[in-house]
Amino acid sequence: MTRALLILLLIAWLAGCAAPPPSAPRELRLAATPESTLREAMQLLMARGYVIRHADDDLGRLDAALARMPGYGVSLRVFAGAEGGSRVEAIATRGGRALPPGLLDPFLTDLQARLGLLP
Amino acid sequence: MRIWLLWLLPGVLAGCQMTPTTLPVAEPAPSAECRWLAGPGDDLGRVITALEAEGFVVRHTDASLGLVSADRARTTIYHDNGVERLPRIGGFVRGGSGGHVGTGVVLGFGGGAGPGIDEATRAERVSVVVDEQALRVTRDIRLIDWRGDLRESRSASDADFCRDLRRAIRAVPAGAAS
Repeated sequence: MTRALLILLLIAWLAGCAAPPPSAPRELRLAATPESTLREAMQLLMARGYVIRHADDDLGRLDAALARMPGYGVSLRVFAGAEGGSRVEAIATRGGRALPPGLLDPFLTDLQARLGLLP
Repeated sequence: MRIWLLWLLPGVLAGCQMTPTTLPVAEPAPSAECRWLAGPGDDLGRVITALEAEGFVVRHTDASLGLVSADRARTTIYHDNGVERLPRIGGFVRGGSGGHVGTGVVLGFGGGAGPGIDEATRAERVSVVVDEQALRVTRDIRLIDWRGDLRESRSASDADFCRDLRRAIRAVPAGAAS
Protein backbone atom coordinates (compact mmCIF):
# COMPACT_ATOMS: atom_id res chain seq x y z
CA MET A 1 0.00 0.00 0.00
CA THR A 2 2.59 2.51 1.07
CA ARG A 3 4.78 1.40 -1.80
CA ALA A 4 2.02 2.11 -4.32
CA LEU A 5 1.51 5.49 -2.74
CA LEU A 6 5.20 6.26 -2.95
CA ILE A 7 5.32 5.35 -6.61
CA LEU A 8 2.30 7.53 -7.33
CA LEU A 9 3.92 10.38 -5.47
CA LEU A 10 7.10 9.93 -7.42
CA ILE A 11 5.25 10.05 -10.72
CA ALA A 12 3.42 13.19 -9.67
CA TRP A 13 6.68 14.80 -8.69
CA LEU A 14 8.48 13.86 -11.82
CA ALA A 15 5.63 15.16 -13.95
CA GLY A 16 6.82 18.60 -12.94
CA CYS A 17 10.07 17.84 -14.71
CA ALA A 18 8.50 17.34 -18.09
CA ALA A 19 9.97 19.68 -20.66
CA PRO A 20 7.63 22.52 -21.57
CA PRO A 21 6.13 22.05 -25.01
CA PRO A 22 7.59 24.18 -27.79
CA SER A 23 5.70 27.39 -27.44
CA ALA A 24 4.32 29.89 -29.87
CA PRO A 25 5.92 33.34 -29.95
CA ARG A 26 4.48 36.10 -27.82
CA GLU A 27 2.63 38.62 -29.93
CA LEU A 28 2.13 42.29 -29.36
CA ARG A 29 0.60 45.10 -31.41
CA LEU A 30 2.08 48.56 -31.06
CA ALA A 31 1.17 51.99 -32.36
CA ALA A 32 4.76 52.82 -33.38
CA THR A 33 6.38 52.11 -36.73
CA PRO A 34 8.53 48.98 -37.11
CA GLU A 35 11.67 51.11 -37.17
CA SER A 36 11.06 52.88 -33.88
CA THR A 37 9.91 49.59 -32.36
CA LEU A 38 13.25 48.02 -33.28
CA ARG A 39 15.15 51.03 -31.91
CA GLU A 40 13.37 50.88 -28.58
CA ALA A 41 13.73 47.12 -28.38
CA MET A 42 17.49 47.43 -28.97
CA GLN A 43 17.79 50.01 -26.22
CA LEU A 44 15.80 47.93 -23.76
CA LEU A 45 17.77 44.76 -24.50
CA MET A 46 21.10 46.55 -24.24
CA ALA A 47 20.08 48.06 -20.92
CA ARG A 48 19.59 44.47 -19.76
CA GLY A 49 23.10 43.56 -20.92
CA TYR A 50 22.17 41.75 -24.12
CA VAL A 51 24.56 41.95 -27.06
CA ILE A 52 22.72 42.68 -30.30
CA ARG A 53 24.00 40.18 -32.83
CA HIS A 54 21.80 41.11 -35.69
CA ALA A 55 19.14 43.68 -36.43
CA ASP A 56 17.74 44.75 -39.75
CA ASP A 57 15.24 47.47 -40.26
CA ASP A 58 14.13 46.34 -43.74
CA LEU A 59 13.69 42.71 -42.72
CA GLY A 60 12.21 43.61 -39.34
CA ARG A 61 14.43 41.22 -37.43
CA LEU A 62 16.38 41.49 -34.22
CA ASP A 63 18.52 38.84 -32.52
CA ALA A 64 20.21 39.43 -29.19
CA ALA A 65 22.28 37.16 -26.98
CA LEU A 66 23.14 37.06 -23.29
CA ALA A 67 26.27 35.14 -22.39
CA ARG A 68 25.10 33.51 -19.20
CA MET A 69 25.46 29.75 -19.11
CA PRO A 70 24.09 28.01 -21.06
CA GLY A 71 23.43 30.98 -23.35
CA TYR A 72 20.22 32.94 -23.62
CA GLY A 73 18.76 34.63 -26.64
CA VAL A 74 15.87 36.88 -27.62
CA SER A 75 14.56 37.08 -31.18
CA LEU A 76 12.06 39.59 -32.43
CA ARG A 77 10.21 39.75 -35.72
CA VAL A 78 8.52 43.05 -36.44
CA PHE A 79 5.90 43.37 -39.15
CA ALA A 80 4.19 46.49 -40.38
CA GLY A 81 0.66 46.49 -39.00
CA ALA A 82 -2.45 48.46 -39.73
CA GLU A 83 -2.46 52.27 -39.58
CA GLY A 84 1.28 52.71 -39.38
CA GLY A 85 1.54 50.43 -36.38
CA SER A 86 3.56 47.29 -35.97
CA ARG A 87 3.12 43.70 -34.84
CA VAL A 88 5.90 42.13 -32.79
CA GLU A 89 6.60 38.43 -32.36
CA ALA A 90 9.07 37.58 -29.62
CA ILE A 91 10.80 34.35 -28.65
CA ALA A 92 13.23 33.79 -25.79
CA THR A 93 15.60 30.83 -25.87
CA ARG A 94 17.88 29.14 -23.39
CA GLY A 95 20.66 27.05 -24.84
CA GLY A 96 18.81 27.06 -28.16
CA ARG A 97 15.49 25.86 -26.72
CA ALA A 98 12.43 28.03 -26.49
CA LEU A 99 11.52 29.30 -23.05
CA PRO A 100 7.93 29.77 -21.88
CA PRO A 101 6.60 32.88 -23.66
CA GLY A 102 5.30 34.38 -20.41
CA LEU A 103 8.92 35.20 -19.54
CA LEU A 104 8.93 37.96 -22.10
CA ASP A 105 5.97 39.78 -20.63
CA PRO A 106 7.92 42.28 -18.47
CA PHE A 107 10.11 43.14 -21.47
CA LEU A 108 7.12 43.57 -23.77
CA THR A 109 5.32 45.63 -21.15
CA ASP A 110 8.31 47.98 -21.04
CA LEU A 111 8.30 48.19 -24.81
CA GLN A 112 4.61 48.93 -24.77
CA ALA A 113 5.01 51.59 -22.08
CA ARG A 114 7.52 53.39 -24.28
CA LEU A 115 5.67 53.11 -27.55
CA GLY A 116 2.00 52.91 -26.72
CA LEU A 117 -0.36 50.07 -27.53
CA LEU A 118 -2.29 50.01 -30.76
CA PRO A 119 -5.83 51.08 -29.94
CA MET B 1 7.64 2.62 5.72
CA ARG B 2 10.91 3.38 4.08
CA ILE B 3 11.02 7.03 4.92
CA TRP B 4 14.61 7.30 3.74
CA LEU B 5 13.35 6.83 0.21
CA LEU B 6 11.88 10.29 0.44
CA TRP B 7 15.31 11.71 1.16
CA LEU B 8 16.53 10.20 -2.06
CA LEU B 9 14.00 12.17 -4.07
CA PRO B 10 15.67 15.58 -3.93
CA GLY B 11 18.77 13.91 -5.27
CA VAL B 12 16.85 12.46 -8.18
CA LEU B 13 15.02 15.69 -8.87
CA ALA B 14 18.23 17.70 -8.84
CA GLY B 15 18.78 16.35 -12.32
CA CYS B 16 15.74 18.18 -13.57
CA GLN B 17 16.54 21.35 -15.41
CA MET B 18 15.26 24.52 -13.89
CA THR B 19 13.66 27.02 -16.20
CA PRO B 20 14.05 30.63 -15.11
CA THR B 21 10.91 32.47 -14.11
CA THR B 22 11.98 35.84 -15.44
CA LEU B 23 13.87 36.90 -18.52
CA PRO B 24 17.52 36.64 -17.46
CA VAL B 25 19.50 39.85 -17.40
CA ALA B 26 23.21 40.55 -17.11
CA GLU B 27 24.54 40.49 -13.57
CA PRO B 28 26.04 42.92 -12.84
CA ALA B 29 24.05 45.23 -15.08
CA PRO B 30 25.96 47.12 -17.78
CA SER B 31 28.05 49.87 -16.29
CA ALA B 32 26.87 53.47 -16.55
CA GLU B 33 30.04 54.21 -18.53
CA CYS B 34 28.66 52.07 -21.35
CA ARG B 35 26.18 54.74 -22.33
CA TRP B 36 27.28 58.25 -23.12
CA LEU B 37 25.98 61.29 -24.91
CA ALA B 38 26.88 61.53 -28.57
CA GLY B 39 29.30 64.31 -29.37
CA PRO B 40 29.50 66.15 -32.69
CA GLY B 41 30.71 63.88 -35.47
CA ASP B 42 29.90 60.65 -33.64
CA ASP B 43 28.56 58.41 -36.36
CA LEU B 44 28.59 54.76 -37.31
CA GLY B 45 31.65 55.08 -39.56
CA ARG B 46 33.68 56.50 -36.73
CA VAL B 47 32.65 53.74 -34.35
CA ILE B 48 33.52 51.07 -36.92
CA THR B 49 36.95 52.59 -37.53
CA ALA B 50 37.59 52.65 -33.78
CA LEU B 51 36.45 49.04 -33.32
CA GLU B 52 38.69 47.86 -36.15
CA ALA B 53 41.61 49.74 -34.64
CA GLU B 54 40.96 47.84 -31.42
CA GLY B 55 41.22 44.53 -33.26
CA PHE B 56 37.54 43.77 -33.72
CA VAL B 57 36.12 42.22 -36.86
CA VAL B 58 32.80 43.71 -37.88
CA ARG B 59 30.13 41.04 -38.29
CA HIS B 60 27.05 43.03 -38.97
CA THR B 61 25.94 46.61 -39.41
CA ASP B 62 22.65 48.31 -39.97
CA ALA B 63 23.07 51.91 -40.96
CA SER B 64 19.46 52.99 -40.51
CA LEU B 65 19.34 51.65 -36.94
CA GLY B 66 22.91 52.79 -36.22
CA LEU B 67 24.00 49.33 -35.10
CA VAL B 68 27.38 47.66 -35.39
CA SER B 69 28.06 44.18 -34.07
CA ALA B 70 31.66 42.95 -33.91
CA ASP B 71 33.82 40.07 -32.65
CA ARG B 72 37.34 39.78 -31.38
CA ALA B 73 39.12 36.52 -30.62
CA ARG B 74 42.54 35.90 -29.21
CA THR B 75 44.36 32.98 -27.69
CA THR B 76 44.97 33.10 -24.02
CA ILE B 77 46.26 30.84 -21.29
CA TYR B 78 43.61 28.96 -19.40
CA HIS B 79 44.93 28.36 -15.94
CA ASP B 80 42.19 26.20 -14.62
CA ASN B 81 42.60 23.34 -17.01
CA GLY B 82 42.91 20.12 -15.14
CA VAL B 83 42.04 21.71 -11.86
CA GLU B 84 39.01 19.99 -10.45
CA ARG B 85 36.61 22.41 -8.90
CA LEU B 86 33.24 21.82 -7.41
CA PRO B 87 31.34 24.02 -9.88
CA ARG B 88 32.28 21.53 -12.55
CA ILE B 89 29.16 19.70 -11.42
CA GLY B 90 27.50 22.03 -13.88
CA GLY B 91 28.96 19.80 -16.53
CA PHE B 92 26.74 16.95 -15.44
CA VAL B 93 23.63 18.97 -15.97
CA ARG B 94 24.68 19.54 -19.53
CA GLY B 95 24.39 15.87 -20.12
CA GLY B 96 27.27 13.96 -18.73
CA SER B 97 30.05 15.88 -20.31
CA GLY B 98 31.24 16.51 -16.78
CA GLY B 99 32.22 12.89 -16.99
CA HIS B 100 35.34 13.84 -18.85
CA VAL B 101 36.78 15.64 -15.85
CA GLY B 102 40.50 15.32 -16.07
CA THR B 103 40.39 12.53 -18.60
CA GLY B 104 44.13 12.57 -18.72
CA VAL B 105 44.22 14.72 -21.80
CA VAL B 106 46.03 17.22 -19.70
CA LEU B 107 48.84 14.79 -19.05
CA GLY B 108 50.61 15.27 -22.32
CA PHE B 109 50.54 19.01 -22.09
CA GLY B 110 51.30 19.62 -18.47
CA GLY B 111 54.66 17.98 -18.76
CA GLY B 112 57.02 19.17 -16.14
CA ALA B 113 56.19 22.77 -16.65
CA GLY B 114 53.45 22.81 -14.09
CA PRO B 115 49.97 21.41 -13.84
CA GLY B 116 47.10 22.42 -15.96
CA ILE B 117 48.17 25.37 -18.06
CA ASP B 118 46.70 25.31 -21.49
CA GLU B 119 45.75 27.44 -24.42
CA ALA B 120 42.23 28.66 -24.89
CA THR B 121 40.40 31.09 -27.12
CA ARG B 122 38.88 34.17 -25.61
CA ALA B 123 36.05 35.47 -27.78
CA GLU B 124 34.51 38.87 -27.20
CA ARG B 125 31.30 40.03 -28.81
CA VAL B 126 30.40 43.69 -28.82
CA SER B 127 27.43 45.65 -30.03
CA VAL B 128 27.36 49.43 -30.32
CA VAL B 129 24.29 51.48 -31.14
CA VAL B 130 24.69 55.09 -32.22
CA ASP B 131 21.82 57.53 -32.53
CA GLU B 132 21.53 61.29 -32.40
CA GLN B 133 21.47 61.41 -28.62
CA ALA B 134 23.69 58.67 -27.32
CA LEU B 135 26.02 55.74 -27.84
CA ARG B 136 25.38 52.45 -26.10
CA VAL B 137 27.77 49.53 -25.75
CA THR B 138 27.32 45.96 -24.55
CA ARG B 139 29.91 43.21 -24.53
CA ASP B 140 30.30 39.60 -23.52
CA ILE B 141 33.25 37.25 -23.18
CA ARG B 142 33.38 33.54 -23.80
CA LEU B 143 36.33 31.28 -23.07
CA ILE B 144 36.63 28.19 -25.23
CA ASP B 145 39.28 25.59 -24.46
CA TRP B 146 41.27 23.73 -27.07
CA ARG B 147 38.74 20.92 -27.18
CA GLY B 148 36.07 23.38 -28.19
CA ASP B 149 34.26 23.24 -24.87
CA LEU B 150 32.75 26.44 -23.59
CA ARG B 151 34.47 27.05 -20.28
CA GLU B 152 33.28 30.47 -19.34
CA SER B 153 30.54 32.68 -20.64
CA ARG B 154 29.73 35.98 -19.08
CA SER B 155 28.42 39.42 -19.78
CA ALA B 156 31.21 41.98 -19.61
CA SER B 157 29.86 45.47 -20.23
CA ASP B 158 32.26 46.90 -17.69
CA ALA B 159 33.44 50.44 -17.10
CA ASP B 160 37.07 49.84 -18.14
CA PHE B 161 36.22 48.44 -21.53
CA CYS B 162 33.65 51.11 -22.28
CA ARG B 163 36.00 53.89 -21.21
CA ASP B 164 38.71 52.54 -23.51
CA LEU B 165 36.32 52.20 -26.41
CA ARG B 166 35.05 55.70 -25.86
CA ARG B 167 38.60 57.00 -25.92
CA ALA B 168 39.28 55.05 -29.12
CA ILE B 169 36.20 56.52 -30.78
CA ARG B 170 37.24 60.02 -29.72
CA ALA B 171 40.69 59.39 -31.19
CA VAL B 172 39.25 58.79 -34.65
CA PRO B 173 39.18 62.11 -36.49
CA ALA B 174 35.58 63.03 -37.29
CA GLY B 175 34.70 62.87 -40.94
CA ALA B 176 37.85 60.91 -41.79
CA ALA B 177 36.11 57.61 -41.13
CA SER B 178 35.92 55.11 -43.98
